[in-house]
Amino acid sequence: MKLAHMLVVCLAVSAPAFAQKWEIGGSGGGGFHTSKDLTLSSETAKAKIAPGMAASAWLTNNTNARWGGEIRYTYQNGDLQLKQGSTSANFSGESHSMNYDFQWHATDVDSASRPYIAFGGGVKVYRGTGAETISQPLSRFALLTQTQQVQGMISVGAGIKTKIGKNWQMRLDVHDYITRFPSDVIQPNFGVSAGGFIHNIVPTVGFSWTR
Amino acid sequence: MLRKSTMVALAGLLWTVGAAWAGTFGQVVSIGGAAADVALDEARGRLYVANFTANRIEVMSLASKTIQTSINVASQPSSISMSPDGRWLIAAHYGNKTAPASPTNGVTVIDLRNNNAKQTFALTNPPLGLAFGSYNKALIVTTKEFILFDPAVGTTQLIRTIQEQATKSIPVPQQTFPPQITQASVGASPDGRYIWGFGDSLLFQYDATAHVLISSLYSASPTLGPRAVSVAADGLHAAMGWWLMDIDRGVPRIYSNFGEPLGDLARGGHAFDGIHNLVYSEVPFTTSDAPVLTVRDSDNLTIRERLALPEHLAGRAVLTADGNTMYAVSDSGVTVLPVGNRNAVPRLQTSVENLVFRGNFCDRDMASQTFTISDPGGARVPFSISSSNPGVRLTPSSGVTPAVVKVTVDPNVFATQKGTVNVDLTITSSTGVNILDPVRVSVNSREPDQRGTFVTNPGKLTDLVADPQRDQYYVLREDKNQVLVYDGGNNTVKSILRTCNLPKGMTITFDRQSLLVACENAQIISVFDLDTLQPSAPINAQNTRMGSIAASARGILGVGFDTSSGDYGIYRINMATRLATRLPLVGVWENTVPQYTVATPAPNGSSILFVSPDGSVLLYDANVDTFTVSRKDFPSLSGAYAASSFGDFVIGSTIFNSSLVPVRSIQAASGASSGFAFVDAGGFFVSAPDQTSAGIISRVDVSTGFGARATRTAEAPLLSTLTNPFTRTVALLNSRGNIILLTASGVTILPPGYDTAVVSPNISRVVSAADGVSSVAPGGLFTIYGTNLSPTNVATKEMSLPTALGDSCLTVNGQPVPILFVSPTQVNGQMPFQAIGNVTMIVHTPGGVSDNFNLTVQSAAPSVFRAAVAPGEVFPTIVRAANNLMVTDTNPVHRNDVLVIYLTGMGRVSPSVEDGQPAPSYPLANTLQQPDVAIGGVGAPVLFSGLTPDLVGLYQINVSIPGNAPKGLGIPLTITQGAFTHTVNVRVVE
Repeated sequence: MKLAHMLVVCLAVSAPAFAQKWEIGGSGGGGFHTSKDLTLSSETAKAKIAPGMAASAWLTNNTNARWGGEIRYTYQNGDLQLKQGSTSANFSGESHSMNYDFQWHATDVDSASRPYIAFGGGVKVYRGTGAETISQPLSRFALLTQTQQVQGMISVGAGIKTKIGKNWQMRLDVHDYITRFPSDVIQPNFGVSAGGFIHNIVPTVGFSWTR
Repeated sequence: MLRKSTMVALAGLLWTVGAAWAGTFGQVVSIGGAAADVALDEARGRLYVANFTANRIEVMSLASKTIQTSINVASQPSSISMSPDGRWLIAAHYGNKTAPASPTNGVTVIDLRNNNAKQTFALTNPPLGLAFGSYNKALIVTTKEFILFDPAVGTTQLIRTIQEQATKSIPVPQQTFPPQITQASVGASPDGRYIWGFGDSLLFQYDATAHVLISSLYSASPTLGPRAVSVAADGLHAAMGWWLMDIDRGVPRIYSNFGEPLGDLARGGHAFDGIHNLVYSEVPFTTSDAPVLTVRDSDNLTIRERLALPEHLAGRAVLTADGNTMYAVSDSGVTVLPVGNRNAVPRLQTSVENLVFRGNFCDRDMASQTFTISDPGGARVPFSISSSNPGVRLTPSSGVTPAVVKVTVDPNVFATQKGTVNVDLTITSSTGVNILDPVRVSVNSREPDQRGTFVTNPGKLTDLVADPQRDQYYVLREDKNQVLVYDGGNNTVKSILRTCNLPKGMTITFDRQSLLVACENAQIISVFDLDTLQPSAPINAQNTRMGSIAASARGILGVGFDTSSGDYGIYRINMATRLATRLPLVGVWENTVPQYTVATPAPNGSSILFVSPDGSVLLYDANVDTFTVSRKDFPSLSGAYAASSFGDFVIGSTIFNSSLVPVRSIQAASGASSGFAFVDAGGFFVSAPDQTSAGIISRVDVSTGFGARATRTAEAPLLSTLTNPFTRTVALLNSRGNIILLTASGVTILPPGYDTAVVSPNISRVVSAADGVSSVAPGGLFTIYGTNLSPTNVATKEMSLPTALGDSCLTVNGQPVPILFVSPTQVNGQMPFQAIGNVTMIVHTPGGVSDNFNLTVQSAAPSVFRAAVAPGEVFPTIVRAANNLMVTDTNPVHRNDVLVIYLTGMGRVSPSVEDGQPAPSYPLANTLQQPDVAIGGVGAPVLFSGLTPDLVGLYQINVSIPGNAPKGLGIPLTITQGAFTHTVNVRVVE
């Protein structure tokens, strides 16, 4: 009975989709990450991913007047960083994230302006891309590494879609991609721990084509 | 400067060596006349040759190297040039004829785009030479003026009149050649911007773009031959006769010269290769010199190679744009020289300049070493090799390259000579075209009481100065135009400074910042910053060849040969203006000094002592900035010369007071005086009976002249010769950590307490040199820890490891052991491959013999070396093939990487390698026992396990890291060989 009820609900939500608009678009912006304190004895250094450029592409299905679903890819670059006082270590890096968000819009699908909120999840791939060298400042805290690491990701965000033509929208949004600290690409050294989550705030502006 | 006797000896040597070489370099193209000049037309594949006596311009094909056509022109074409646009070829005609004939001076213009149409223009004065500049106008130099000639319209423009140049009138005596008739040469840079030339007394540079003419009168002794100009690609440097010239502050300057040449205007020639910074030259020293082309560096004329020529060059030469082919006027016409493709001709090279055999009290058996003779181009070239001493035997004595020659020394032959005997190995070839310098074999036969460690350095070492501020010292290497900078801590060469040509003396400025090097075959003084060990702007010696130089607190003075006046005088060197200027007087005396006069400063900068071989002495007092003493109390002087900070001086074996009055002799002096170093109120005096004996060093009390504790040294100090009558061969380092002697085969290092009673050595432990913990194995590198193991710190760079170093040697079961490093508390060496099981090790030093130290040598005991990449960060010596960097936490091992692990203690190898010898690169020496390698417990396939080629006692394992190796920090990498396992930790990532 429970399974049958779920199927009915899904069909109720998805059936009207055939009559709703699709969006495909892309955007650009920036992104920054929150840092983590790494502590060794009485010393502390900050580890983070430096702010960098972000670019996204998405495909959205407005399943009804207020709800939609979106699959989204986001690329960001940003050096892996360690910093303690005036000493710092940098290592080129980038990330690739893929997520699915549910979107709830404050206005109907035909409105000229549609504020919305989004939430969902996906995966994020952190990559260290710098050239490895035999020594690195602050290596006693962590090791910036040429490797890649896949992390599960929670996505939350908000934005506004504005019609700028018959089939065109401009979109302004901001997302927070939340993952666990990427401890393979920024590997804490012996005696240092770096657990918990980091936030990746990504504001972008973009355009989408709708039909 | 080379004296006649030396020149004759050198000429004889060259003749003898040259005669043994049947192969010659280059192809002669005969023209049936006397070539006067050449012009290269690469676009058309032609070389134009001015046939002076046949009144034609020969057109030679560059492809076939044959004369294809000839262009008949007016009489005596003496100089030719082609316009940059390739349209015009012009020829100057030297027609300075006497009655009843009429002068026929003129210029022929040949239009190369119009079927070689010719037009001839008359000149009033005999032309000395011509060359096209940019804008397709030619500069013509006559005996009285510079003219700019436009071939398109046939007009001339007077640039400047000049002092009339001496000329020859036609007819001339028989056997007179074109350069001897015109006595001039003119040449242009490849882009035509700069034209250089010279005549009998005039030299010039013309900037054809800016229309600026710089000229000056000159005199040269001997005459400035060969009478040929070759201009560098930048146009700012040129070879003219036996001078290399540039422009300094708007005035032509001789920055290097070819020594003491023959000066024949018609013998020799050169080409300045600005692409490769080389000068290809034949500048003979005597009339009997065999024809030899030298390949030299263009800055200081250091000889890189000598090539036998089929005949003498005889004037101008030109290079192709790529610098690969040289076309030179020669006796028969033209010689084509593939200078950029020398690897295509058979040549010989040796893998070493010298070999050192250190006899020692651990080893009196026959000793042998090997070196390789090969052809740089890889060809098979026959050779013969012979030794100048029957005690040095060679196997084989002839063969075909590539070949390994085994040099075996019988120490008994040299047993009576307690110093170092240098033996020359002469290599000849029936087809090879280059002339090799002999390989020097230094054989030392010291006895236990002889102190000091000698560090050999090939070549002619002539002067020694210790840095008064840094723990380093400087040695002049005269034959290579170098200053060798030795690290006072380990007595290895830490830097090599390129000097001007034929360095003769050096000094450190009183501010301790600069090293000045005076050169006999240059009219500049090289300057080096002592903090960076980099050259700075040289000092212009202004027509003077400086031979000795000294810096006081007030002034820097030098002794130089004035090429204008032809005498020697004293010069003041101004570091601010970078000029050397001859002093008008020296105090109240005339400023002339004998040849070979030398100068040395007092350490506190208060004075400079000048000493001459005729016995005269001069003293410069920095306090009053003048010369205060001039005396001559001896008919001659030679040997040591030194000045103290307390008003004392030593010359030869005599102590002089502050008025340069001889006051006493050094009483311990025996043999020939060589060097003296003042230290506080005393000093060290070194001498030797002859160059192959042991040296003698004594501590001298200057107030009494009494020399105490005369001690024999490992080899003799450098002794004076006719051309180097004064020697500076002893110095105490600024740290006072060592005394340095300039000796027969290099430098000898003595600890300050060389003459104190010494204590027997003591061994406390013997471990692997890799980690200081593991056991040792045959062929592996090990470290001995103990006390009194050596009086001094010395590391060797010899790749056949010596069995004695720093007065120390050691044996394992009586067998001598190759050594890399010695110090009072540590010795590093290589365990002989035959040593296995329970062995006994003994260290021998001048202090005695250690007690027996018993240890067990395992068949294999692998141990990976450790290296510090930063303070406190020590890692095993493992290299990732992916980036050729050492594995560290920040350059971690990746899955699927290939790693090279450097270690020692892997035991015997196949094929076997001799103790102390570098491992071969082909075939590779593989370990007999194969190791197993695992990372994090996962097996890693071994790709290679054996000795690292070209090194001694160093092994390597090449492994492939599996894709399932565990990731993380501190993953154990385990090497198992036989019963022994060695583990290091590495970081592994994806």
